[in-house]
Amino acid sequence: MSAESILSRKISRKTLLRNVPAAAAAVGAAGALQFATPTPALAADEKPGYYGVPRTWVWNPNGNTMVDTSKWKKDGPYTIGFSNASISNAWRVAFQHGVLWSAGQHKDEIAHLKVTDANDDPSKQIADIQDLISQGVDILLIAAATEDALDPVVGRAMQQGVPVVMVDRRVKTAENYITYVTSSDWALGRLEALWLAETLDGKGNIVMLPGIAGSSVAEIRIKANQEVLSNFPDIKVIEKQYCDWNPATGKSVMAALIQKHGKEINGVLADSALQGSGAIQAYLDAGYKDGEIPPMTGGDIALMYQLASQHNIKMVGIDYPTSMGITGIETALNVLKGIPVPDKVEVSFQVVTSPGADTTSVKGDRHLLDHVSMEDPGDLSPSHGLPAGYNPATFNPEYPK
Amino acid sequence: MTALIMDLRRNRLLASYVIVGTLFLILVIAGGLLSDRFLTWRNFSNLFQQLIVLGMVSLGQTFVVLMGGIDLAVGALVGALTVFLASFLEWRPDMLWLAIPLSAIIATAIGALNGLMIVVLRVHALIVTLGMGSIIFGATLMYRREPGGSVPNAFADFAYANVGNIPISAIVLVAIFALAGLWLQRTRSGRDIYFAGGDPEAARLNGVHVNKVIILAYAISGLCAAGAAIFLTARTGVGDPRIGAALTLQSITPVVVGGTILAGGRGGVLGTFLGVLLVTTLNNLLNFVNVSSYYQWVIQGLIIIIAVAFNTSGKRR
Repeated sequence: MSAESILSRKISRKTLLRNVPAAAAAVGAAGALQFATPTPALAADEKPGYYGVPRTWVWNPNGNTMVDTSKWKKDGPYTIGFSNASISNAWRVAFQHGVLWSAGQHKDEIAHLKVTDANDDPSKQIADIQDLISQGVDILLIAAATEDALDPVVGRAMQQGVPVVMVDRRVKTAENYITYVTSSDWALGRLEALWLAETLDGKGNIVMLPGIAGSSVAEIRIKANQEVLSNFPDIKVIEKQYCDWNPATGKSVMAALIQKHGKEINGVLADSALQGSGAIQAYLDAGYKDGEIPPMTGGDIALMYQLASQHNIKMVGIDYPTSMGITGIETALNVLKGIPVPDKVEVSFQVVTSPGADTTSVKGDRHLLDHVSMEDPGDLSPSHGLPAGYNPATFNPEYPK
Repeated sequence: MTALIMDLRRNRLLASYVIVGTLFLILVIAGGLLSDRFLTWRNFSNLFQQLIVLGMVSLGQTFVVLMGGIDLAVGALVGALTVFLASFLEWRPDMLWLAIPLSAIIATAIGALNGLMIVVLRVHALIVTLGMGSIIFGATLMYRREPGGSVPNAFADFAYANVGNIPISAIVLVAIFALAGLWLQRTRSGRDIYFAGGDPEAARLNGVHVNKVIILAYAISGLCAAGAAIFLTARTGVGDPRIGAALTLQSITPVVVGGTILAGGRGGVLGTFLGVLLVTTLNNLLNFVNVSSYYQWVIQGLIIIIAVAFNTSGKRR
């Protein structure tokens, strides 16, 4: 689906908004080749979101490397093999829904989509990938359970002439795949820290609530936070506590920090709404009134946006987009059509801010209620890119099996 | 062949083999009908390659179950051994010849230690091996939390290599199972396992060193875990402390499905081999027909219950 096709259809504003990440995904997959048409005219207070070419591609201060895919070019219709690490949490379910739905949107080009699920077991995923190759797939789309253990089998697939596109999680050797569909944790970490620092006018005490200690995603986001904060000497990080991307942990950690520091905390730098939503709840439990809760960052689940809107909290939220599943299928199709792809497809995310919370450097693409509605389930991943009314519990997309 | 027939007669295992064999045939026929690529040499070669890890661990488990025990440490042990191998080979890639026997010795020793504790402390095998598994897992995590290490390319190629069209790993597996079967049926020490497992008291009165046999069974289980770990490390190219986690319980399925009874004293390695073949083919087929792996768990559970129920009802008659 291209941005043009979205715009030419008669759709409600709501549908348009819900489809925005899908469009971003489609354009992102096409890399430099299909530049998006401009944003449609909307009333001044409506923020539809960003759905252009990936910003990390456009703004990359270095050259972008494009991979020549002409040697993988084939005539369709294609059989795509999708080896998923698991669907063991809400993020992974929405992600897989994106892959299936996207294959359904391209059923004229895709004859079969074969899906395997490794239950987070790398040993099973090796067998899964071999099974998919045995079935004669034209391309493999792989979300690797671990980046080391899958490396040899992915490399072997390429050697046997089966092109591989990694999505969400890659393997360690870049030569073993054509491209990697992901989103930039560096940009995410910089934007969130920058927004918080500028919102506080460059001074104050903040607490950092990162994800899982030692996981590359959490550590990259912390480094990016620190890069930014080093420019703000009057911002003091008074606490840094890992919250395991868990709402309950986020709540109990924040409750303890409120006990200890109270109103000395001027801002909360959480890298995800998983702990961020818990942090808001800790403030509410501690009796803080609307307007008293300090500015926060987060992203990934609807609940935090809903709470922030309800209780008038200044926030910026950036989701790690589950819509990269959609982009994964688009990218795989581009490879099979011989269209060059970037060596890393960084899906654009939406920068979501509370109304009036833009700062000098960080402008929101959407406001809280453009991004989620108050009726959405709290654990919904808003950047799913799927049709309006997407509900992970009931969504059952048709796709070519 | 005569060994096979003796095996069948002695252990009244024919019923189990017929059930498992029939289920396997049903899968193969269903596979052939559902996908035109299932009954290809390529798929079978791939499937045989996948047998080895589960096959080795289940073989070890068979000996322990024949003794009326259970080894819940194998998963952690396999993980620890992959970490050992990949770390050692990262340090000295030229010393593969030393790394492999060393890992086998370590694993055998740990297995023997399990057996020794069961015999000396008189604690149930379930507890001893569960505790040992926990100790091994914790100690491995202290050394390496994330997957890491590396292996020389030649070693990695070996796991995927074929002789003619047959994967080396499949040849190795069949040879080891055949050796194990012959040893159990044809040698005094092998038969002692059945004797000591079936009726330890009678065995003792007949001069069998039951304690020694128990320690031997656990040592073999350790050795087999090393075999699994060697192939797993070659296949993945890294040491991963968590990679064996699922194997502990997975290794019990083929054993019981193959007709070895948990009380000990009856069963055999041929049944386990068929069980491994059945489970692996099932997973392969379900990937071919594009159904979620959650069904694989459900169907595996059903197969265990059906197969064991048939075995038990057969015995009553």
